[in-house]
Formats: sequence, structure tokens, C-alpha cells
Amino acid sequence: MADTTDSILTVRGLKVDFSTPDGTVEAVKGIDLDVHAGETLAVVGESGSGKSQTMMGIMGLLAKNGMVAGSARYRGQELIGLPPKALNEVRGSKITMIFQEPMTSLDPLYTIGRQIAEPIVHHRGGTFREARKRVLELLELVGIPEPARRIDSYPHELSGGQRQRVMIAMALANEPDILIADEPTTALDVTIQAQILDLLKSLQQRFGMAIVLITHDLGIVKHFADRVAVMRRGEVVEQGRTPEIFERPKSDYTKMLLAAEPSGRKVSPPDHAPIILEGRDMAVEYAIGKGLFGGSSTVFRAVDGVNLRLRQGQTIGIVGESGSGKSTLGRALLRLLPSSGYYRFGTTDISGFDRSTMRPLRRELQLVFQDPYGSLSPRLTVGEIITEGLYVHEPELSRAERDRRAIAALKEVGLDPASRNRYPHEFSGGQRQRIAIARAMILKPKVVILDEPTSALDRSVQGQVIELLRDLQRKHGLSYIFISHDLSVVKAMSDYVIVMRNGRIVEEGQTDAIFEAPREPYTKTLIGAAFNV
Amino acid sequence: MISFVLRRLASAVPTLFIVVTISFFLMRFAPGGPFNLERPLPPTTMENLMRTYHLDQPLWRQYVTYLSNAVTGDFGPSYIYHDNNVAQLIGKGLPYSMELGFYALILAVVGGVIAGTIAALRQNSFLDFAVMSVSTIGVTVPNFVVGPVLTLIFAIMLAWLPAGGWGDGSFRFLVLPMIALALPQLAVFARLTRGSMIEALNTDHIRTAKAYGLPSRAVVITHAMRGAMLPVVSYLAPCAAALLTGSAVVETIFTIPGVGRYFVLGAINRDYTLVMGTVILIAIFVIVFNLLVDILYGLLDPRVRHD
Repeated sequence: MADTTDSILTVRGLKVDFSTPDGTVEAVKGIDLDVHAGETLAVVGESGSGKSQTMMGIMGLLAKNGMVAGSARYRGQELIGLPPKALNEVRGSKITMIFQEPMTSLDPLYTIGRQIAEPIVHHRGGTFREARKRVLELLELVGIPEPARRIDSYPHELSGGQRQRVMIAMALANEPDILIADEPTTALDVTIQAQILDLLKSLQQRFGMAIVLITHDLGIVKHFADRVAVMRRGEVVEQGRTPEIFERPKSDYTKMLLAAEPSGRKVSPPDHAPIILEGRDMAVEYAIGKGLFGGSSTVFRAVDGVNLRLRQGQTIGIVGESGSGKSTLGRALLRLLPSSGYYRFGTTDISGFDRSTMRPLRRELQLVFQDPYGSLSPRLTVGEIITEGLYVHEPELSRAERDRRAIAALKEVGLDPASRNRYPHEFSGGQRQRIAIARAMILKPKVVILDEPTSALDRSVQGQVIELLRDLQRKHGLSYIFISHDLSVVKAMSDYVIVMRNGRIVEEGQTDAIFEAPREPYTKTLIGAAFNV
Repeated sequence: MISFVLRRLASAVPTLFIVVTISFFLMRFAPGGPFNLERPLPPTTMENLMRTYHLDQPLWRQYVTYLSNAVTGDFGPSYIYHDNNVAQLIGKGLPYSMELGFYALILAVVGGVIAGTIAALRQNSFLDFAVMSVSTIGVTVPNFVVGPVLTLIFAIMLAWLPAGGWGDGSFRFLVLPMIALALPQLAVFARLTRGSMIEALNTDHIRTAKAYGLPSRAVVITHAMRGAMLPVVSYLAPCAAALLTGSAVVETIFTIPGVGRYFVLGAINRDYTLVMGTVILIAIFVIVFNLLVDILYGLLDPRVRHD
């Protein structure tokens, strides 16, 4: 039990239930938490642990079918069951929140200046005109360049990182006691992530508010939080000071979470292994800003003069932030979009190949996507999904033979073969990604391009998928192109790393060399941001 | 902004041209003609009539003549209403239809948006159920039923309002036809508003507004409503064009001297020029209102602003 001496938010026996057509779901099962003045408490857990719903319940922000019970006292005032009017005195003034989705958390129809001013005007009175000066100060404070110009911008005119800064400005507007940050950096690139966390830290030092950080990312917790509460399935399994939790975790679950950081390395193929896929001077261009009457257009180079050689059994990791061109590069290599350059698969020059000439080669060049929810058709059974490619590449197969291969493929990725008659929505994210991998593997490919295959998964699941991918590679002598923004995953997967930025290669080399002795400042920033937040 | 409007107006010219061309030839390929009456006319009379109205000329020549006259504002004579040409008929009837349509539009938008918003805020409650049931009735019951029922109750049984006609043009005469005309559109606006409001209320930025302690009035009106109005505004253009150019059914039931009847009567009588005139009128209304709505859309949503 946490001590209550200087607790400003005291949560006791908090429960959150959701009534669903399938009965009541207990999201939070009576937990105790304490937030002390000026501290940072991290609430850590994987998806479905109830960490977000705990805060939503306290703040009266649950979905309509959600119910909250128990007690949450803010400086002695009970928040649970408080009438909306009284609760609104606390929300946005004493306790403020920032959210995971900086893209959608701001109203797209109003300027950021007006949105930051809204809680000021509402809680302190006055007019929007009077609040403007304070808004400018706040924008300056959160590091928005040229606040006087930006104050009248709309959210869509700002980057994700800037929008999160705007949210922070809004959160600070009334000098809160507690700031609840719900996965504040999950949707952001690593370098931006580090900047936002630094900003939060410096603002905390300056204004002395407590921060409740809800996150799944233990890397952030270690460097950012004073205390940690680990949640699992609606319960707090462990709670304590950050160094204690990291050095002497008591619960098995915490130990598992800590061990779930991707580890291990793969064995590199011999240097003389044959080159299986090669691209030279690869370039992909898009025309943007084309006028209605064919006026002047600007060319955007998504990929700009990239060379790449993939050897048999090798994994090349392509690292970069959003917009760096890494996914486009993967698609260009598979000849899935118009691109210039020289391309070779095995001994075949595929530079001028189009859809129909590429088709026979497609089975040997497979692709696995990031989003295991969007990339599987919800109306087909798993069996139909994974055998679809066989209809194209081996149409002569009998029904029984196709079924036999489906069973083998599912076994290979560690799924119960009986599941081939079920539909994708019945599976978890990790299982779906296994299905997507089975769909690629059933065709016995030589090269698989993995486009952020683990980014949508929880850490513990991520580790399992990485292990599976490494096993499959060893067994079948596969070659991978592994595209990811997540450096720790790339480190565990790749022999060779290419760092991309703005469509160009910034730096490339053997994995060890890149991670231990990066030469380029950008690579250093990326690695610094990822491993020492 | 000005260049956007000019470009849109320029693109209206080919649109109108295509509309005119298609309806011209469709009309002509339909069997029958303006003078094929139940009792056939003597051949010489028929021949004279055809010559008088230049219907004996080759079709392409009639088409070219029509187009060149229409550009100058001459939409030809009506074959049935001998005293007036098409431009005069429309000129006389349009103010009546537009006045009635304007009131109906206001009623439909204001009533529909309020009803839809209430239904959305009380989702799955009795009130929601009631609003949605009434709006289903509004959509499904045709106005040739609603019109006479309204007349029966309010004009004959209660004798509160006149049963029909324009009278002195006072508002009393407009109430019943306005309701009959507005009801189906009101129902559509209510459904559209309810749907988009429910969606808007579940967005992340509404959660933000709540998390910052804004009173629910501000959350609903300032943040949810404005976003929810976007699909409603899109429907405004076709709806306004339909209401302002009159309804054959409502104008016939309430004996209103508008232009709504002309489209149906013209089509039945093969009154080629009258149908063409009405088609052009409706097309112009649709084009103009689409443009107005696009401008309004840009004012509501900064992401699609035309600058």
C-alpha cells in the first residue's frame, strides 16, 4: 500500500465496468493509487490493462457504456460521482490531460490559439481577446516557433509534434496541480518523442505539477518517472520507486515486461552469399500541388538515389522517421509503384517489368504490413486468407492439398491449425500478425519485405513475433528487408542497417557499427533518442 | 476565392449545355408530340401547326435554333399555354414557388437540425425513438397524403387556416403547403444531423473539450455541432434547388400558381419548350446552390478552404 502522507490524488478501490452485449466487462478491478505533489507517477501496462480507463474513469470521460465506482479524492474532494458542473471546475484547471492522438485531439475547425484560450476563458473568465497574450506566452513556453504567426494556424497546418506541444500549452494554461499524459508520445517519431518528454520534464521542474504518465513503453518510464505502478488486466500488480521496480521487480509479470525488450542477435550470412535482390539509383517521385489547368507542379522525391544489395539469408534494416521514404523504398523494390533505377532479382533484370511480367516472380517476393487489423480481409476466413496466393501461383492445386498447406503454414507460425475456419476479428493483434506472416510463408518466398511488422504490437508480443521471424529465416534461408522506426527491434533483427531521411541514405553499415559507433549526427540523434530517453 | 467562384461559374456552362442537349433529344425521342390529342387533328391542321412551330424542320436544325434562341433568353413559345411563352410562364410562377420553397427550406433545416441534435444527445432514449419514428413517417408518407390530411384537419375540421390558393399572399395561406413541402426534407435533415452528431460527439477532440471542463453547452454547440453540420450543409444544395423550384404535387393540392406544375404538365403534354425551360431552371438552381454550399463549406471547415 502506498503512503498517503502528501498524496494529492488518492485513488481507493477504483472500479471501471463496461456493459457490452456480451455482458459486463471489468476493465479496472478496484485499484489503489496515490499521486504525490510534484512527482511523476508512471502507470505502465500493455493494451487492455485498464491503465487509460482508470484515468478516464476518474476524469468522468468514460464511454457511454462505462461505469466507475470506488473513490478518487483530489486534495480531499471526492471526484467519483461529482455532478458535471462541480467536476468541470476541476477538469482543465486543477487536473489537465494530454492524449495519445495529437492528430485528432484538437478540433480541426478552430485555430489553435482559440482552443488554448478556451479553458482560460472558461475557468478564469475574460474574453478571448484578453486571453491572447497568455496564449502567446504559452506557445512560446512549449517551444512553438513564431508564436505570433502560429497562433492563428489550424491543427492540420501543424506537425504531430507541434500539435502535441499545443496540447501541452492547453494543459498548462491554468497552471494545473496534476497533468495526466495518456501515451503522449506513442504516435510520434523517436526524435520528436524525446523532445516532448524533455519539454514535459522541464515544465514540471518549473511549475512543480505532478505528472501521471500512462504508457506501455518501459524505456520512457525508466528515465522519466519517480514511481511506477504496473497494471495488468485491471489490477495493479506492483507499485514502487522506479529504480526498485527496474532492479528488483517482485511480480513475475513485471519481470516478464522488463525481459520483453527485444534481445538477441541474428547470425550474419557469409560475405560471399549470392545477391538476391538489388536496386541501384532507385528514385520515386510524386507531383504535388498540380493546378486545375495543369499549372506548375512541384516534384516531391520520396526516394532519391538509393542503392541497396540484399544477400541470401541477410536482413537489411531500414530505419527512419515518418516521411523518410522507407516504406516507399520497400514498395519500389517490389516494383509495386512507378519508380526509376535498376532492379535485379536473382539473376533477372526486373527494371522494366510491369504488372504482368512481375506476376510469376511475386510469390518469391512477399510483403508483410504494419497494421494486422487493416491488412486482413474481415470477411474471409483465415484459411481463405492464407491460401489466396496459391490460387494465383499454383492454380492446379487440389482443395485437399491447399488445406494441407494451410495447416502446415499455420503450424509453422505457431497457430492452431483448427483456427483456419475462423475470422480475423477473433484473433489478437499478435495472432493476426502471425496470420499475415503465414500468408507470405505459404508461397515459400525468397525475399520478404517486413514493413513495421511489430509496431502495432505490445512489447511482450513483439518479442515473440521477432523470434518467429528469426526462426523462419534460419529454417528457410530467407532474406528480409526489415522496415521500422523502432531501433531496438531493428537491432535485434538486422545484419545491416540503412538510416534514411528525406528519401536519402544518411548512413549505412553493419548493425554493430551503426549502433555502437554512428558517424552521422542524425544517426546519433536517432539512437540517443531511442535508447536514452 | 474570386478565382474559385469564376472557375466554378465557367464550368457551369458545359454542364448546362450537356443537360440541355440530353433533355432535348430525350424529349424528342419519346413517343407522341404536343399536338397528338386523344381525338386526332385533321391532317391539314396538324401540318399547319407543325409548320408554325417549326416542328417540320430536321431535328438538328430545331436543336441549333433552340440553342441559339435560349442563349438570348428566348425559350420559345409554349405549345399548350398559347397566351404565354415559356419565359413568361416561368417568370410569373417562379416568385410564388420560391417564396413557398424558402419558408419550407427554413422550416426543414431548422426543424430537422434541432430534432436531429436532440435525438443524438439523447441517443437510444424515448425521445430519440420518437424523433426517428416521426422522421420515418416524414420520409415514407408521400405529400399527396400529407397535404389532404393537413387540409382536412386544419382547414376543414378546425377551420384555422385556408384550404388552398394564394389569397392575398399572407402567411396564413402558406402554412399548410409549407408544412407539406418541408416535412420529407425535415425528416432527411433530422436523420442526417442525428447521424453526424453521434459521430461528432464520439471524436477525440470532444473528449478533449470535456477533459478541459467546458460546459456541455459549449461542447455541443461550439465543437460538436460545427463539425456535424458539414454533411448537413452538403445536402442543402440539392434540397434548396428542389424546394425553391416548386413541387407539382403540393402546388396542385393547394392550388398555388407556382412553376412546380409545369414540369409534370409539360412532360405529359409533350410541351417540349416548357419542359426544356423547367429543366434549365432546375439545373441553374442546382449549380448555383452547389456553388454557395461549397463556399459555405469552406467557411465551416478550414481544411477545404479555397484560397
